[in-house]
Amino acid sequence: MNFVWESTVITLIAFLILYWLLSKYAFGPLFSIMEKRRELVRQQLDEAKATREQATAYVEEQKQALQQARQDAYDIIEQSKQTSSKQAAQIVELAKNEATRLKEDAVREIQNEKNNAVEQLRSEVGVASVKIASKLIGKEVKEDSVQGELVDQYLKEVGGRS
Amino acid sequence: MHESPIIKLGGLRIDLSVVLMLVVTCAIVFILAKLATRKLSVENPSKIQNFMEWVIEFVQAQISSAMDFKKGKPFLALGVTMIMFIFVGNMLGLIFGVVTEYDNKDAATVFGQPIVSVTEKLDTLHAKGEAHPHAEVAWWKSPTADIGVTMGLALLVFVIVHYLGAVKNTKAYFKHYFQPYPVFFPINLIEQFSKLLTHGIRLYANIFAGEVLIGVIMGLASSSVVGAVLSVPLLMAWQGFSIFIGAIQAFIFVVLMMVYISQTVDMHHEEH
Repeated sequence: MNFVWESTVITLIAFLILYWLLSKYAFGPLFSIMEKRRELVRQQLDEAKATREQATAYVEEQKQALQQARQDAYDIIEQSKQTSSKQAAQIVELAKNEATRLKEDAVREIQNEKNNAVEQLRSEVGVASVKIASKLIGKEVKEDSVQGELVDQYLKEVGGRS
Repeated sequence: MHESPIIKLGGLRIDLSVVLMLVVTCAIVFILAKLATRKLSVENPSKIQNFMEWVIEFVQAQISSAMDFKKGKPFLALGVTMIMFIFVGNMLGLIFGVVTEYDNKDAATVFGQPIVSVTEKLDTLHAKGEAHPHAEVAWWKSPTADIGVTMGLALLVFVIVHYLGAVKNTKAYFKHYFQPYPVFFPINLIEQFSKLLTHGIRLYANIFAGEVLIGVIMGLASSSVVGAVLSVPLLMAWQGFSIFIGAIQAFIFVVLMMVYISQTVDMHHEEH
């Protein structure tokens, strides 16, 4: 073992020069590249995270929208069901009213006709009874208004009694 | 045992093989790193860029296991440089070796300078009375198989650790020398220096031992036919094991460096 201290000094000088050269020309740029890559990876991870969160939010939103649409559809069906049943009831009601009205009309008509017929019959009966009476008592009963009224009154009494 | 090619230059002993191997290691590491960061891309990294990022993340994991990563971040580039430097250095000695032999003092020169380690060796051998003194010089070896180099790396870590402790964590740093009692001061002091020594010597010894064993196996190969046949599987096994050792030692060196740094930077955590 032969220790030459000059070798130590030469080694130190050589190593320090190598260190300086490497730091300046090789490691400096390489470290910055590695740092950039780290930055890039972190950025991409962040982006992926953000995208994932967005996607989750979208899915949630879509779910809610679907739920909403379902609810809306249900409501519409329910509403239309109610409307149709109400309409049906209305129509039935309307028809019932119409029928009642028609029936009442018909009754009234019948009553009118009956009254008319009664009236007509009464006047004819009056005339006929006057004629019969004049025939019976011989032309003494004139067909004037006073006698007609008398007959009418009499007939009314008869009709009212019957 | 191979000698180092040491020449005298202005009163300093310069180990030429260390200089050569340091330059080669630094060049390989730099070219590797530069290739990896040539066409940088955030989204579509090339294979070699991926590999370099894997190395960085590996060191990052070591730092975070030793301390809070926010505090350890400034040492990331240092750790990556260190692990690549040591790993490449460990591997270089495994590929091949360049050894020159000298019998004559006059022939042992390089760039017109005498190789002093060889001349000294030849002189001592001559003084012992050998008729044919002989010295072998290894030019190509792992830089980490030289104790001067590994101690240099350990010293760098040592200086960083104690500078950070004294500047950023002053109170806790100086207090811990006198814990649990002031009597322990010498022991704590020795502990710090033993850390420095073991940090450097562990790496050196592992790699150096590996290269010595490779040299021994090569010697066996050249000794006889049986030895040559035997040496092939031995060498294969040992080369594979040396690759493993080289990787493990680079890893351990960096882990220990981060642990030592965390011990002073994060010191107040240990107190409560």
